[in-house]
Amino acid sequence: MSTDSPTLWQSLVALPHNVWRSIFRNPLPSSDLGRAQTSFTNLFLHIQPVKVHRHTLRPTYTFGLGLISLFLFVILTVSGILLMFYYVPSTTQAYDRMLDLRGAVAFGVFLRNMHRWAAHGMVAVVFLHMCRVFFTGSYKPPREFNWVIGVLLFLLTMFSSFTGYLLPWDQLAFWAITVGTSIAAYAPFAGKAMRFVLLGDNAVGQEALLRFYVLHVVVLPLFVSVLVAIHFWRIRKDGGLSRPVEEDVRLQTEPVTAAAAGVPAPMVAMSGGGAVAATAPALAPVPVTGPKLVKRSYGIQGLVRGPFTKIGNVPDNTVFSWPDLLQSELLVFLLTVSIILLVSVFFNAPLEEPVNVMHPPNPAKAPWYFLGLQEMVSYSAFWGGVGIPTIEVVILLLVPYIDRKQVGVGKWFAKERLLANSLFGFFVIVNVVLMVIGTLFRGPNWEFVSPW
Amino acid sequence: MVMTKKPEPAVDAAGEDQMTRRKMLGWLTGFGLFGSAIITVFSNLLFIKPRATYGQPSRFSIGKPESFPPGSKVALEQRRVCIVREGDRLAAISTTCTHLGCIVSISDTGFACPCHGSRYDQDGNVTGGPAPKPLAWYQVMVAPNGELVVDKDSEISQGTYLTV
Repeated sequence: MSTDSPTLWQSLVALPHNVWRSIFRNPLPSSDLGRAQTSFTNLFLHIQPVKVHRHTLRPTYTFGLGLISLFLFVILTVSGILLMFYYVPSTTQAYDRMLDLRGAVAFGVFLRNMHRWAAHGMVAVVFLHMCRVFFTGSYKPPREFNWVIGVLLFLLTMFSSFTGYLLPWDQLAFWAITVGTSIAAYAPFAGKAMRFVLLGDNAVGQEALLRFYVLHVVVLPLFVSVLVAIHFWRIRKDGGLSRPVEEDVRLQTEPVTAAAAGVPAPMVAMSGGGAVAATAPALAPVPVTGPKLVKRSYGIQGLVRGPFTKIGNVPDNTVFSWPDLLQSELLVFLLTVSIILLVSVFFNAPLEEPVNVMHPPNPAKAPWYFLGLQEMVSYSAFWGGVGIPTIEVVILLLVPYIDRKQVGVGKWFAKERLLANSLFGFFVIVNVVLMVIGTLFRGPNWEFVSPW
Repeated sequence: MVMTKKPEPAVDAAGEDQMTRRKMLGWLTGFGLFGSAIITVFSNLLFIKPRATYGQPSRFSIGKPESFPPGSKVALEQRRVCIVREGDRLAAISTTCTHLGCIVSISDTGFACPCHGSRYDQDGNVTGGPAPKPLAWYQVMVAPNGELVVDKDSEISQGTYLTV
């Protein structure tokens, strides 16, 4: 016994190695088993499946838009927390604190730029992500609920950005929020009460600033984080990223020799399952239909939907998350951070005159992503500000429960989905055109002007 | 794993469900939890709806009638009202645009809003733009000390003047 125990000296010599190994259980992997273990023994890595389908990693399929949204949210969280150290949500101090960021805080302007541009970027990228999911038909069963979560996240992103807009307490902030909350007051029945509770008063003032601050830094980020967690969890539970059916069919109808059929299942040969393998072989004898065509699908103890487990010597269309998926993710992260840093170096976030309650700027414009809304509002306050947006959101939420045909999933602009894609394309174009009109073609008194 | 089978609900001779003790407790628990949730939501709503506001009071004095000579239109920008006097008749018209709450400015023909181009005539009727309804008229009273008091909480019908 005593001969096996290391001496004190040996323990000290081995200390760095032992500390390292107690934190990271596996050495850098050199085998498939090692790669699998690296994934599922690490808290952060085990959020991802051990293996993912090759189709998932095609850059031209996803353009990494969901991932970019997440990384922008991370950048926003970090820069936002840092800005909180210097910000005071008070009508007498907020604007001065903005000026202090310029003169009295190291990297103050830079952090504010990062926060502002990442916020604008997130609104745009989340919208593009929604377009990607629609045009590839990825909201179809079993992914209906994740689409709903996604729509909610889009609305929360807009609302987070909107609440942040008031905080600098400059003219832009004050009048954009005055206009925005007045739109809310047009909602039937509870509109006026909603506006009063949101502002904490009858007009935008100290109470509104405090309320928007609390919503912006605590309430909304909390909801976003929880929904993002559900969004990611559902991706795995719904069978990974969507892909064309052929990708899986080709896999299953591969001819298999009799000898190969007897080979036991590899320890971890699944995408999306985690470490629940090896129960499948006992379930059923291999049904061989047709000349040497194998059609097999095994659920993994009913935990994960869809045919994932591959038994025997079937060609594998999956790659290991470590390193393939992780490398792609790292690349997207670096690109996202680099672009935000570059933009923040060259462009300063706007800061207008301090609030003057008596003199609205002319025209008083909301943030660009609300200018389509403001353009509609200039025709009819109720229909433009409440009626049509509500109908649009309700339709977006119901889309996956209405369009349930399993065709064209996993392909950009599939021929079979011409009608659905055209309708959604029309929706996108109309909103973008309204936004462009509101941004570039509207001048004083909201009259039509030419930008040239 | 051995599952204990859930006892079938007791059915008496008449075929009606009997209230077992388990069922009764289940109902009570559900009722208590659901009720507590409702009360929690309701009390939170009450909490975030302020009872007192810290902004401007909605009832305020604007001084003696003499400070508004006949034929004048004086916009009190802080209070967001315009005091209109014609002869010995006086009224307070809101300068908050009924469209989206911007401040309307006095124009040649009445009032104009800089935000979305709503236009109003001298009495606050909509003559153009997206505004859905005319500008509000507020009650004006004479206080015992002879000063005029505007009450923004009580809207009166258009064309109701105070004779001073």
